[in-house]
Amino acid sequence: MKMYFANFQELLTMDGHGIYVWSTVIVTLLVMTWLLVAPILSRRTLLKEVARDILRERARQTSPTNSQGDS
Amino acid sequence: MSWQWFHRLGSPRWFYHNSARWLFWLCPIAAAVLLGGLVWGLAIAPEDAKQGNSFRIIYLHVPASFLALAGYYIMAIAGAVGLIWKMKLSYMVMKSAAPIGAALTFIALFSGAIWGKPTWGTYWVWDARITSMLILLFLYLGVMALQYAYHSVDAASKAGAILGLVGTVNIPIIYKSVDWWYTLHQPATIKFTSAPSMHADMFQPLLVMIVGFYLFYAVALILHTRSEILRRERKTSWVRELLNEKNQSKADKQAGKS
Repeated sequence: MKMYFANFQELLTMDGHGIYVWSTVIVTLLVMTWLLVAPILSRRTLLKEVARDILRERARQTSPTNSQGDS
Repeated sequence: MSWQWFHRLGSPRWFYHNSARWLFWLCPIAAAVLLGGLVWGLAIAPEDAKQGNSFRIIYLHVPASFLALAGYYIMAIAGAVGLIWKMKLSYMVMKSAAPIGAALTFIALFSGAIWGKPTWGTYWVWDARITSMLILLFLYLGVMALQYAYHSVDAASKAGAILGLVGTVNIPIIYKSVDWWYTLHQPATIKFTSAPSMHADMFQPLLVMIVGFYLFYAVALILHTRSEILRRERKTSWVRELLNEKNQSKADKQAGKS
């Protein structure tokens, strides 16, 4: 296992093809990262919403005078 | 024959509980295989005699295209299972597979366009393979759009499943397009029926990348399905219990600290 290129400079430029190869790598990695981050973020938001719902219900249960006052 | 496993597999709750453990193993393996394959393909494999270094795009282009197609099967089959057995989890998997497939199809098209510039001198041609891949992207986007086009979740799932099934017509066209209309896109590098048209030094990292993309797909699909399960089941008692347990363990930890 040895690097095909003589040094990192050559690995970056790839005889003029570096721009094509590396731009593809960057865009692909960005899209793949988004595929992982998006569901993690939406799951977090959902869990927060459920927690808020539970708290709201609990508050309603413990102070029944509030709900009577509204009606 | 026991059908218990089948029913358990159809339970969103069972899936949500167990998939956390699967992710714990899958994530590090997927990351390691992808990183290894990428370094191998980009830095260690020799350059192509005809195309030079631009051929290294193959290490992303081919795996992404593989999974764009395999992902379509998964989406269509999940939709069919939902239609036949009315399995809720199956529809959730179908909905989750759509954006992942669309993103992978986008990667396949984008990397192909970039690769086309130094190789063919153009980013885009209306070649049969490329056009049928573009149709695949629109099919994925169509299934995604249908999920939001209905008020009823059930109607949206059924419509998505039917579009997914109808769209499978496109899959053999994509596979065969390079043989039927020989225009610009090169024939398949990997075939099940014959030896690869590639030197082993270049072929081995490609195989590693394909395995890596399969693992990545599994991780992405599980993550999307988990968040979809929460979205649809948030009113149920098991989700509430889950949150109570979480809060309890958090409170215990804080109590332990102070």
